[in-house]
Amino acid sequence: MKFSFNLIKKLAPGKYDKALLVEKLNLHSFEAVDAGGDVLEVSVPPNRFSDAASHLGLAREASVIFGVKLDDPAAQAIKFDHKDQGIFRVNIKDKDLCKRYLAAYAAEVKVGPSPEWMKNVLETCGLRPINNVVDIMNYVMLETGQPLHAFDADKVSGGLVARRAKNKESIITIDNQDFELDNNILVIADAKNVLAIAGIKGGKLSEISAKTKRILVEAANFDGTAIYKASAALKLKTDASVRFSHNLSPELARIGMFRTLSLLKELAGAEIHPPVDVYPKKQKSDILRIDADEINNLIGAEFKIKEIAAILEKLGFKKKAAGKFETPLIRPDIENIEDVAEEVARFEGFNNLKPVAPSVALGVAQEEEIILLKDRIRNVAVSAGFDEIYSYSLVSEEETKTAPAEIFGVSDAVELANPMSRQVAVLRNNLASGLAKALKENLRFFEEVKIFEIGRIFGKTKNGVKETNILGVALSGKNAVLELKGFIDYLFRKLGIVDYFLPELNLKNKLVKLNESLRIETGDHHVLGYLGTLEGMRGAVLEIDLEKLLKTVDEEKEYEPLSKYPSIIRDISILVDDSARVGDILDLIQRVSPKWVDDVDLIDWYQDEKLGENKKSLTFRIVFQADDRTLTDSEVDKEMAAINKAIIEKFDAELR
Amino acid sequence: MENKKMEELKASALNSIKNSKDLKSLEEIRVKFLGRKDGEITRILRSLKDLSIEEKRKIGPLANALQKEIEETLNEKLKQLTTYNLQLTTGIDLTMPGKKVSSGHLHPLTIIEKEIREIFKAMNFSVVDGPEVESEFYNFDALNIPKNHPARDAWDTFWLRQNESKVESKKLKERLLLRTHTSPVQIRYMEQHKPPFQIIVPGRVFRYEATDASHETNFHQVEGLMVGKNITLANFKFVIQEFFSRLFKKNVKIRLRPSYFPFVEPGLEVDVECIKCSMRMPEQSSIRKAHANESCSVCKGTGWLEIMGAGMVHPKVFEAVHYNPRDWQGFAFGLGLERVAMIKYNIPDIRLFCSGDLRFIKQF
Repeated sequence: MKFSFNLIKKLAPGKYDKALLVEKLNLHSFEAVDAGGDVLEVSVPPNRFSDAASHLGLAREASVIFGVKLDDPAAQAIKFDHKDQGIFRVNIKDKDLCKRYLAAYAAEVKVGPSPEWMKNVLETCGLRPINNVVDIMNYVMLETGQPLHAFDADKVSGGLVARRAKNKESIITIDNQDFELDNNILVIADAKNVLAIAGIKGGKLSEISAKTKRILVEAANFDGTAIYKASAALKLKTDASVRFSHNLSPELARIGMFRTLSLLKELAGAEIHPPVDVYPKKQKSDILRIDADEINNLIGAEFKIKEIAAILEKLGFKKKAAGKFETPLIRPDIENIEDVAEEVARFEGFNNLKPVAPSVALGVAQEEEIILLKDRIRNVAVSAGFDEIYSYSLVSEEETKTAPAEIFGVSDAVELANPMSRQVAVLRNNLASGLAKALKENLRFFEEVKIFEIGRIFGKTKNGVKETNILGVALSGKNAVLELKGFIDYLFRKLGIVDYFLPELNLKNKLVKLNESLRIETGDHHVLGYLGTLEGMRGAVLEIDLEKLLKTVDEEKEYEPLSKYPSIIRDISILVDDSARVGDILDLIQRVSPKWVDDVDLIDWYQDEKLGENKKSLTFRIVFQADDRTLTDSEVDKEMAAINKAIIEKFDAELR
Repeated sequence: MENKKMEELKASALNSIKNSKDLKSLEEIRVKFLGRKDGEITRILRSLKDLSIEEKRKIGPLANALQKEIEETLNEKLKQLTTYNLQLTTGIDLTMPGKKVSSGHLHPLTIIEKEIREIFKAMNFSVVDGPEVESEFYNFDALNIPKNHPARDAWDTFWLRQNESKVESKKLKERLLLRTHTSPVQIRYMEQHKPPFQIIVPGRVFRYEATDASHETNFHQVEGLMVGKNITLANFKFVIQEFFSRLFKKNVKIRLRPSYFPFVEPGLEVDVECIKCSMRMPEQSSIRKAHANESCSVCKGTGWLEIMGAGMVHPKVFEAVHYNPRDWQGFAFGLGLERVAMIKYNIPDIRLFCSGDLRFIKQF
């Protein structure tokens, strides 16, 4: 919000310049910047519009900061030219939406240009000077914070009514816009017409013109919520509507009215009448019990009650009795001792507050298990050479239709009600498609890409949204899916999971190849996730549900005695048909020699035209070991013969 | 005669030591002259026993001196050669670059988050988690951010599409949104726990905002909350001062300014002095601008970096979780992870974090 430095200084005269005011406002009041020339840009917080979204308000802050007097023109006595209020009626039909309505009649108004000082303030604050009557309304709003409106009294028939608009009722505003209104919108009307959209904008009909002689001045108070909703519904935001939306104090209407009338008299030669004040439910001032200890206990300071009282009195609080203060009517934001503590602490200076170490009972700081699990997985993934990426939670609908999301129960993607564009209109239900995309993009710069992400995915459920933590891993390369299989083994071993299966995935999807994808299952057949070779590129991807994994993680590890006897290692190379499954051969070897085979590994495999059509060469390494003695070569030879025979018979293999 | 032979032996030994180029030839020289079996000097010494007393007296000391001299020269040369060899001539050329250790990289925000968690854990804060899809109640209402009030406009919100008729007819209890801050976890945690406690909540948040170098639709925050009988603003100042000093690894100066968040009272903005231009701002200076380093890309010449919103928990927030505000008090704060990472690592564009670009990630 723009302010005139000169006007603030006029209202709170003292020895300070603009830079110092900006500095001090920042430290004690509101965020402020010097916007050049006379202009100050100040962010008045939403709870302070009643008292501080005005030059008087900022001058009041300055008066406390610099210890100078506030020169409040609104406090000056006013001399009316008439005792009567003039002949017109004011009626509030909806007392919830209109809390107070002051209206005053002024005659003999001489419409003309405003004085330079007033034009300057308006221009500094970004308003265009129009004529003295309209300018006074705007100026008083800037000075006091109360929006005002002037009607040409000769265009008003009967009196003013604050009522809800009838459905389909319409108005043409002073800037010639036509608005259709409804029952939720408050209007100011006379006997015949809608004259203004209450608290938002005036109508063309009763607009002040060069010929205007008699006016009705409005200073009213409207319900903030109603104005906020009406302004949103009409898509019409004005200085007045923004102010009223913040719930102004009804007291401001009185202040604004009297200031307006005295300026009309002074600058437009108007003969002023005392205002009509319809105020169905008067705002009561609060009495707060203010105890220095209570404030000090909250802030951790040692303010004296005298210091506290001095600040409060400058802010317009009135001392009623020992430790009891009446809060100013224009400060509806002050409701309790915390609010008072803020006033005191900020003027005393937050930066003068001495830091104090909290004294609390010793407890064990804990981290939620899922957070710890994520940490561990990150460390494992990084140690295995994977780089961590973050990607966006908002994606296009297409991206939610690639991965086999039903495995996590999130195939029904969650849509936004107000997306920014089609490309970011739904919540991701998988990490895999983002990883695949990142894989592709990074292959422009790197020969090999190994990435992972830990993040939330979402899916629609009957009554809400399912949200779950997922690990996604992707890497490039020809046999990437086998590397991922190895990664799962590595990860699970690190997490202490020994019992798991990798059956076929058997879920149709666009992301991974159906014949090169596996499901990741726990020993008791809970599905943790899947892995597979990506369609359309050399690479593979896996996704694991971390919430489910967390339930599976078993920290039990037990020491196995080291063997006292040496083991014997034999390699066997075979040529088999392409359709032979390595997993079956491994099983067979174990089965044939269950007693002595300690470990079997596939250590090499390749396919080549020279091997013959649909043939592959496999090399296994078998480790023989007995618990109770050293095996002899001849014993192992016998076992190997049995293994060879079984493989040849079962898989039609050829020894190499 | 013997003397002459000794002289020749000496010259030959010293010369070959001098000319030897490697450890192997040096060892050969040692064996040739001093070898226990067949060394030339050894042989002379061994032959002493067959000589007359006179000859023994004459040659003995000479041979011993020669043995000693050769030994010393050999050792010196050995020392020279070993250093020299390490530098240049053994099998591996050590000027070659070291073999790359291949390990992956954590995302910079993970690194920062972890650091922040470690610091707070050391101060006895627990780490908790909360959902990214939130209800209007937790994200706004319970935090004293009323409906149809401009205060709520400070949080531009992504709303989820729901069956409107079900929402209107209250069949669906809650209007859902993407949380705009981590603060709803304050409410969720307090509903489930009794004070005193102190927690932090790292997490992803969302804003309906046009993206540019400093704005993103999703970003990350760390929320903090400490509640007890006598937790004061001065306590907050201590904790946060401690936190920033550890985070930035130096005794960084902080500044508190009044601010407004509906769920705290008093409300504060925390600034840290600009890490980059590390300029000391005279706190009471009226000529702040003149002092400022206008060219500083991080603080834009103000000397301060706005980094955190904070305050004392609002009594209405305590009421929303059924605490008696007269029994409990505490502070809350919120910190942008991207902002911290950008300051700490001098990252110019917030959009890099979600780019998935490994040229960026591999730097950390």
